[in-house]
Amino acid sequence: MLIIICALALFLLVAGFEMFLVLGIPALATKTAFYSTLPDAVIVQKILGGIDHSTLLAIPFFIFAANLMGSGQIASQLIGVVKAMVGHTRGGMGHTVVGGSMAFGSVSGSAPATVAAMGRMVYPEMRKAGFSEKFSLGLLVSSAETALLIPPSITFIIYGWMTGTSIAQLFAGGLAVGLFLGLAFCIYVAIEARRSGTKSDPRLSWSERGKVILDAKWALGMPIIILGGIYSGIVTPTEAAAISVVYAIVIEMVVHRNLKFGDLFDITEKSAVATAIIFILLAMGGLISFFVTLAQVPMQISDFLTAINAGPVEFLIVVNVCFLIAGMFIDPNSALLILVPPLFPVATSLGIDPIHFGMIVTLNISLGMITPPFGLDIFVASSTLGKPVMNIVNGVWPFVALNIIVLIIITYVPEISLFVPRLIFG
Amino acid sequence: QEYVAKIGHLESTQQSRHVHLEKVAQIVSEETDGNVEFQIFPQSQLGNQRQMTEGVQLGTIEATVAPAAFLGGFNSAVSIMDIPYLLPNDPEQAEALREGEFGQALLDTFDDKGVVAIGIWPNGRKSFTSNKPLADISDFEGQKFRVMDSKILIEQFNALGASAIALPFGELYTSLQTGIVDGEENPLDTIKSMNFYEVQDYLVVSDHGAMEDIILFNPTWWGNLPEEYQTVITEAFQSVVPELTAHKAAAVEDALKTIEESGIDVRVASEEERADFREKMFDPAAAAYKEMAGDTGAELLEIYQAQYDEVSQ
Amino acid sequence: MPFLNALRWIERSLLVTIFLSMVALYFTSVVTREIGGTFASQFAWIEEAVRLLNLFLVFLALGLALERGKHVGVDTFRDRLPGHLRRAILKCIDAIGLVFSLYVAWLGLSLVRFVLSTGQSSPTLGIPMGLVYCAPVAGFLLLSLRYGLSLFGVIDRFSAREETV
Ligand code: NA
Ligand code: NA
Repeated sequence: MLIIICALALFLLVAGFEMFLVLGIPALATKTAFYSTLPDAVIVQKILGGIDHSTLLAIPFFIFAANLMGSGQIASQLIGVVKAMVGHTRGGMGHTVVGGSMAFGSVSGSAPATVAAMGRMVYPEMRKAGFSEKFSLGLLVSSAETALLIPPSITFIIYGWMTGTSIAQLFAGGLAVGLFLGLAFCIYVAIEARRSGTKSDPRLSWSERGKVILDAKWALGMPIIILGGIYSGIVTPTEAAAISVVYAIVIEMVVHRNLKFGDLFDITEKSAVATAIIFILLAMGGLISFFVTLAQVPMQISDFLTAINAGPVEFLIVVNVCFLIAGMFIDPNSALLILVPPLFPVATSLGIDPIHFGMIVTLNISLGMITPPFGLDIFVASSTLGKPVMNIVNGVWPFVALNIIVLIIITYVPEISLFVPRLIFG
Repeated sequence: QEYVAKIGHLESTQQSRHVHLEKVAQIVSEETDGNVEFQIFPQSQLGNQRQMTEGVQLGTIEATVAPAAFLGGFNSAVSIMDIPYLLPNDPEQAEALREGEFGQALLDTFDDKGVVAIGIWPNGRKSFTSNKPLADISDFEGQKFRVMDSKILIEQFNALGASAIALPFGELYTSLQTGIVDGEENPLDTIKSMNFYEVQDYLVVSDHGAMEDIILFNPTWWGNLPEEYQTVITEAFQSVVPELTAHKAAAVEDALKTIEESGIDVRVASEEERADFREKMFDPAAAAYKEMAGDTGAELLEIYQAQYDEVSQ
Repeated sequence: MPFLNALRWIERSLLVTIFLSMVALYFTSVVTREIGGTFASQFAWIEEAVRLLNLFLVFLALGLALERGKHVGVDTFRDRLPGHLRRAILKCIDAIGLVFSLYVAWLGLSLVRFVLSTGQSSPTLGIPMGLVYCAPVAGFLLLSLRYGLSLFGVIDRFSAREETV
């Protein structure tokens, strides 16, 4: 039966059904085949439940702000500043994408929000700088993963609560691992820039740079408001997103005077549609996760681990494989809730440090954001950039491979995860 | 197995609620010769508490053990538990209220809410933490505290002259760290497990808010059980209460030790101070409760008052 | 199609009103918190209000998203098929989408009735939760309308998609 349902999902996917049908129809089939005694209304309850979380609210607001900035002048001015500073270096635009995603992902804490906000701004510039479509899309989608690793991160907070691990130490470890992942991306950018011979702009004098910065003074208020507001304790990341919308409206309509009321109407509506496209997938993901939970997968994993009498090496392979498979089909945060309970006790019994294990788990979770078929960030990029899903999937594969290499290094070299927490907390 | 119940709850697997749900599951399985099986889904795997409670009404899941604080939307009468210093500090007196007329009257208010409420479990008391000094009751004035979604808790903080700020639980740690709010209220073991002490400087062990769990079953599933099984289940939940209380007390003690060792300022409120807190907060909170819960609420409050006076003498 | 134009106008106006209200509410929340005191406590309902508004934002935008060919899907293989086969598959998607959306809307309606009957309300605002479940009902009805119109050739949602790329 399960095979028939998987075949059905595959058929719907290949035949080009809307993605929410590709997820929803097999979920309905699962309900009918395995859980016929459950009331049918559970379908709608779980669809709504999948998106009824306060922590998801940063996504619509950052999409809105990004659309406002892209339609007005803020985005182009911010890009102008970056190009003035690093445009003369080889692959500078690629490194900017990595750095920008890390900075934005750090505060937003949401990989999809990072893709949505960064995508429209930097994608055209990467193409202009001579990076291929494939590479640009892949880099954009993957570098957003660092949102989950670089603190603050809700993923670490949930993991810390589930396992009784210090969140401060997890944040410290996440900083190192997030930077390590970012570094890996930068190395890849450097190689790609050399290989494909990307173009660079002439170096600007400092007075020319000063002029660019001065022209962009209002645009530069945007990152200052977001980063400053969060780190000074005035706003939460979600509120910062809403405030950035207000700021963008004021600057583009009153200061720059290049958006009219009609434009605001159109941009608001467009942002609502973009939000809906992402959230309906999260909603269907909530439905699927519910059935996976009911299937009591955790018990089967525990039984399997006992059966193979796993040592640390086998265990960590099982962990990576479990999350990789789960990350392909269900949304990564649900995978966290379902998989950590059976795996964590085994990890501690094998002497794996809880902080280190948290890094492995979170790196797996963030990888789940970009692995097809259910890679939320892929869909976000597809809808915000208007690119076919398959183009993005093609671009993402090399980064999935790179991620797995990083994952293996992080898994078998615990010192990378642990040296910062040890440095700070002794 | 003739009867299988999926039971969802919010806590992690090391916490008292989960540990004792496992125990109840074992007792029930033994005493019904394996005819009743409890499948337990911890840490909101089945959704947040609102979805789980609704799921019990709907029959998606068979039961949930829900903090009373999350049930106000389903049964406004149960919000009486949000009133600060409702239960006496003495565990035996508190248990007398739970098992006596008040507890029964509270469970009865669920009768027309599409669920069967079969018991109340203790789950500790809330205390205050903050990044600003909490040396005495006047220090609360002007500070910002995070509250759960509850009109009564908002009144509780208003009574102290503090701001009640609604924030999602998942964002609370970072919000305390950056200073969006000054403080929060939670049981000590939650303060430990959520690591809030890492980002707070002051703790007052005030034990002001009773965290009580209500055990809810789906009426159809419950009605289909033979009466003897119903008795087995109800008694199994009751029988573990002493163990649960001890487990919780140990967890709280352990939490207090961890929190003290972290070097933050810890202070246990004296009896007089607790009386002051009660005096200041109880009436405004009770008034908000009566406005919300109407006649049923007023009646329940009377039953409470009568029994409280009796047991606390 | 005056009916369809009127519907679009209503959808767009609702979406814009809801989204801008969400922004304004969060802005108010931040400002009142900075003012502080018991004054700030009066705005504790905003958190819940924005979360509920977002649900309506998402579901009310689903129909427009479909009409404009915005929903994500893997159309690479489908679009390589010969014309008649491709057209058959498109009709098949529309038909199945129509049935699926109608079914989910119908299930949603039964949930609305059930939750209204239990009297569940939202914790801070006290809004009947049954009304909140009207969001998915409306959303899937709007979807089914678009699937139906596309099935019977009234709107062309597939070429709408190609224009945007
Ligand atoms: Na982050
Ligand atoms: Na994935």
